Order: sequence, then structure tokens, then C-alpha cells
Amino acid sequence: MRHLLLRLEPVVWLLFGQGIMIGTMLLTAYLAVVGLAIPLGIVSPDALAYDRALRLGSSLIGRVVLFALIALPLWKGAHHVRSLSIDFGGLSRDIVVAPLLYSLALLGSLLALVAVVRL
Amino acid sequence: MSRAVHPHSMTPSRPGRTRAAPPQAPTGWYAQPRMLRYLLFDATGIVYLLCGFGALRAVWMLGSGPSAWAAFQQEYARTPLILLHVVCLAAVIFVGVRFFRLFPKAQPAKIGPAKPPPRPILHAGLYAAWIAVSGGLSLILAGGIF
Repeated sequence: MRHLLLRLEPVVWLLFGQGIMIGTMLLTAYLAVVGLAIPLGIVSPDALAYDRALRLGSSLIGRVVLFALIALPLWKGAHHVRSLSIDFGGLSRDIVVAPLLYSLALLGSLLALVAVVRL
Repeated sequence: MSRAVHPHSMTPSRPGRTRAAPPQAPTGWYAQPRMLRYLLFDATGIVYLLCGFGALRAVWMLGSGPSAWAAFQQEYARTPLILLHVVCLAAVIFVGVRFFRLFPKAQPAKIGPAKPPPRPILHAGLYAAWIAVSGGLSLILAGGIF
């Protein structure tokens, strides 16, 4: 397993890096508008009324952006939580923690794919 | 083409003799300000996992029809979720500021014949991209354009 993790390291680091860079850029807007501005009434809820939200989300660019918005932060999250686990628990339990976290990110990414396809 | 070698192929079969004590972290290492900021940066991973699965749920509800989407929007208007989103946004901005400050320092001096741009330009470029992407997406989501 440790060998496999080392072999996968470049792929995981690519996804982790994009999770920080692109994920941060996308999440800023998502949290600011969908998570705060609309619920607080700063922006009209009509902006994301069902028909408009579906039209935006189901376009090709919309699907790609939504997939990136979901999947990339998951890989950033998984890798950083793994790092936190190593800092506090040492390398001994990494053999269990790392596959668990990366499997979670992979599962989330696959579900994201299904979610954007069914829009 | 030769195949990739095992990463541990050069590791000796048994550890060599040494008179040095095994490395140990000093007591209270996590409370040092620099370590605390580093650990906080790592801990934002939990926030990103939450945000990723939260966004997944949002897209899933959107794909489930108008009534599911309306229920989702009502749920987002609840105070605990608004407070959670404030914390998440603060964490995301913290990650952006820290990462975009570190990114230029982490660049190699040269990639083949090409040199990366000077650090201040790279730093400014990252902020410009952040503002452009976030601003553009915010405008779209808020109904300003499209």
C-alpha cells in the first residue's frame, strides 16, 4: 500500500495543488453568493431560481465548473487532513488514514461526475 | 525505455548503526506561532471537505427538481448554516492569501531554458486571477451577467 501511495503521489499532488488554486477561486464566489449573499437577502433569490440555476449548471461550461467546484476541494481537503494526521499521529497510522481519505475524495469526485451528468 | 524503480530500492535492508538519538518533536511544538499557522492551514482541509460535499449536495438537489431545489435554498437560509458559511469563507480566504504568498517562493529558479516571472509579478498575477475568477463567477451567480 505504501508503494502504491508513493506511486500515486504526483497525481494526488496535482489534484491537491489545483484544489488549493482553482478550488479556492471557485469556492470564494460560491460561498459568498450561494452561501451568504442570497440567504441574507443581499442578492435576490431569483438570481438562482430553479430555471436559471438549471440553465447555468447544465451548460457544458457550467458542468465543468460545477465538477471542479466539488471535486478539487475534496482532494485538497483529503491531502491536508492526511498531513494533519501525520503531524499529530506520526507515520504509523498513515497506511490506514491516507487510503481512507483519498478513497473519500475519489468517491466524492465520482458522485460529482454523476451529479453534473444528471443535470 | 527502462521501467520506474521502486522508491525504496536504495534503502539498506537493516538500519545502520548510529549514535544519534531518534528525532523527537519538542514539547508543545504545536503551540509555536509558526507551527500554529501551519497546522491551521492543514486544518482548512476539513473545511474544504465540507465545502466539497456541500457543493455536491447542492448540485444533486438541483438535479432532483424544483421542489428539492426550493427546499435546499430554504435550508441555506438557516442561521447555523449561514454561520458555517462565514467560517468556511474565512478559511478559504486564509488559504488563498497564504498559498498565493507561498506559491512564488516555491517556484524553481529555472524550468529548462525558461525562468519564472519575478515573484512580485507572479504574486500580483495570482491575485488578479483570484479576483477575476471569483468576481466573474459571483456576477454570474448573482444574476449580474448571463
